[in-house]
Amino acid sequence: MRRPSSSMLMTAGLFSLPLGWALLLLIVPYILMIAVGFWTRQFPLFVPDFQFGNYLQLFSDPQYTTVILRTLKIAAMVTGCALILGYPLAYFLVFTIRSDKLRNLVYMAVIVPLWVSYLLRAYTWKIILGTDGALNSALMSLGLIDAPLDAFLYNQTAMVITLTYIFVPFMVMPIYAVLENIPKGLIEASEDLGIGPLGTFRHVIAPLSLGGVVAGAMMTFCLSFGDFVAPVLVGGPDGTMVANLLQTQFGAALNWPLGSALATLVLIMVLAILAVTGWAERASARNLR
Amino acid sequence: MTRRRTARALTAFALATLPLAATAGELNILTWEGYADPSFIKPFEEASGCTVSATYVGSNDDFAAKLAAGGGVYDVITPSLDTVGMMRLAGFVDPIDTAAVTGSDGVYPEFSKHPEIVVDGETWAVPLIWGSVSVIYRPDKVTGTPDSIGVLFDPAYKGKISLWDDKSAIYWTARYLGFPNIFDLNDEQLEAVKAKLIEQKPLIRKYWSSAGELTDLMANNEVWVSNAWTGLTSKDVNALGKGFTVAEFSPKEKAEGWMDSMMLVKGTPNQECAVKFMSYMQSPEGQCGIAKSTGYFPVNPGAVSSCMDAAMKEERKVDNIDFVKSLVMWQQPVRLDKYLEVWNAVKAAP
Repeated sequence: MRRPSSSMLMTAGLFSLPLGWALLLLIVPYILMIAVGFWTRQFPLFVPDFQFGNYLQLFSDPQYTTVILRTLKIAAMVTGCALILGYPLAYFLVFTIRSDKLRNLVYMAVIVPLWVSYLLRAYTWKIILGTDGALNSALMSLGLIDAPLDAFLYNQTAMVITLTYIFVPFMVMPIYAVLENIPKGLIEASEDLGIGPLGTFRHVIAPLSLGGVVAGAMMTFCLSFGDFVAPVLVGGPDGTMVANLLQTQFGAALNWPLGSALATLVLIMVLAILAVTGWAERASARNLR
Repeated sequence: MTRRRTARALTAFALATLPLAATAGELNILTWEGYADPSFIKPFEEASGCTVSATYVGSNDDFAAKLAAGGGVYDVITPSLDTVGMMRLAGFVDPIDTAAVTGSDGVYPEFSKHPEIVVDGETWAVPLIWGSVSVIYRPDKVTGTPDSIGVLFDPAYKGKISLWDDKSAIYWTARYLGFPNIFDLNDEQLEAVKAKLIEQKPLIRKYWSSAGELTDLMANNEVWVSNAWTGLTSKDVNALGKGFTVAEFSPKEKAEGWMDSMMLVKGTPNQECAVKFMSYMQSPEGQCGIAKSTGYFPVNPGAVSSCMDAAMKEERKVDNIDFVKSLVMWQQPVRLDKYLEVWNAVKAAP
C-alpha cells in the first residue's frame, strides 16, 4: 500500500470542510425531507411510514395544482416585468453613461436597496398602495380620482409590483456583467459595416447578452417562485403561493409529511426549470459559435 | 479598620446581590398579543428577577407547530381550552403542581376543574383569561345596526370585509348556514361551508392573522367589518383617534367563547420562573393588568375585586360566569385535520 502523497492530504484537508458542510447541511436534509414525504400524519403528530398517500393527495386535491399554477404565473410575470425594466437599465448603464464615476454611482443605486431588510421594503409598498396610501393621495390631489381606489393593494398585481421591485437587482446584475464584457470592437465593427443601432442590437448585443438574461431570469424566477412574504403582506385572499402552503403544512396544519412531499415536488420542478434553462443557454452559446 | 470596613461593605454588597443572583432567571412565553404587556410584565420582572421574553401566535394551531419544530425554546404556553388536550396528548407539556401556584384556588371552578384541564387527577393548565370573538364594524360605514353574521357575507361591503385566518372561519360560516353541530360537521355540511366561504372570497379584502394586522386594516380604512377578538382590536383602533370609531356586537347566531390557560412546557429549565409567573398572573396585578391590556375577562374574580370598579366588573363579566352559556365555547373539532384541510382549500382557491 502506498502512502498517501502530501498533495492528496492537502487536497483532502482543503476540501473536507466544504464537502462536509455540503453533506451535513444540504445532502442529509434533502434525504430527510424526501423520507418524511412518505410518512403518515396521525393525530396529534405524525409517524414514520412508507406510503404514497401524500403525493396522491397533492395530485388529487385541486387546491395544490391551483396554487402551483398560480405561483408559476406570478413568478413568470415578475420575471417578465423585471426583464423589461432591468435590461434597458443595464443597457443604459453600460452603453449610455460615459462617465465611469456616474456609472458606478447608478449601479450602486440599483444594488443598495438589497442592503435594506426585505420585510421593510415589502412593507413600504403597503403604505404606498393602500386605500389611504401615497398613490391614492397623489391621484386624488391631481384630481384624477374622487375616492381612493381599492385596486392597488391586497391582490396579485400588488404582489407582482412588490416582487418585481425587490428582485430587479438580480436581473440587472448579470445582464450588466455580460453587457460590460462585450468587446467594444464588435459593436464598432458592426457600425462600420453600416448596420444601424437596432440591427447592431439584434445581431450583436442581444445574442451576446443572452447568457446574462438567462442567468438573471433564472434567479428572479426562482426567488419569486419561493417567496412567501409578498403574499402575506400585500397579497389578497387569492394570493396564496406554494411557499405559503409549505408554511401552513409545517405550521398550523402540522402535517410535515404532506409538507415534505410538496417540498420535494417543488424541488423537482425547480431542478427541471434549471435543467431546461441550462440546456437553452448552452444551445444558444453553440449557435453563436 | 479600613480593611474591616471594606470587608463589611463587600459582605453587604454580596448580601444585596445574593437574592437577585439566586433567583435571576429567564422565562420565554409563547402567547397572544396583549398577554405580555410591559404594564404588568415589568413589575413582575422587577419582583421576581425573571426576564420575560414573549413570542406571539396568530392562532391556536401555532402552538403545536412551534413546539414540534424544536423544544427548549419556550417555558410557558397559553393555548385556548380547545387546544389544551392536544398539547397534553402530543407530550409537549408537564402536569402542574397547583399547590405551588398561589391564588389558583380562586379561579372559577368551571374553568379550573374543566375535564380538559384536570385529567385523571392531574392538572395540566392554570386558567389565565377568557373572552369572546364577536363582529367588529364601522358604524359610520355599515348601514343600520347589524345583528347577524350575514354582514360578513353582504355583497354591499364587497372588498371591505376581513376574516380571521383560522379554522374558526368554518365555525362562523356553519352557524350562519344554521348548522348546530359546528365542531362535528359531516362531509356534506363541510362541503356547504367550503362553498360558502369560497363564494365569499371576492368580498374579502384580506384574511387577518394577528390582532395587530386587523388593527392596521381597520385603522387604515382597508376594511369596515370583520370577526375579531372582542375588546382588543376595538380598544386599539379607537385609541388611535382616526376620526372614526369602531363598535362590536354579538351576532344573533351567537358569538364564540374561549378561555386561555397557562401550560408548563415539558422539561423546561425555568420551572421556577414559570411557576412564579403563573402565581403572579393570579394576583390582582396580573389579572387586572392583562384584563386592562386586552379588554378580556379575568378568570379569578377574587383577585380583581380590589382593582376594578363596579362598571368595569360588569363589563368584564366578573362573577358572571353564566355569560359562558350565551357563547359557543370553543372545542377541538372532532375531525381537526379535516377542518384544517377545508380551511386551507378555501385559502388556496382562486
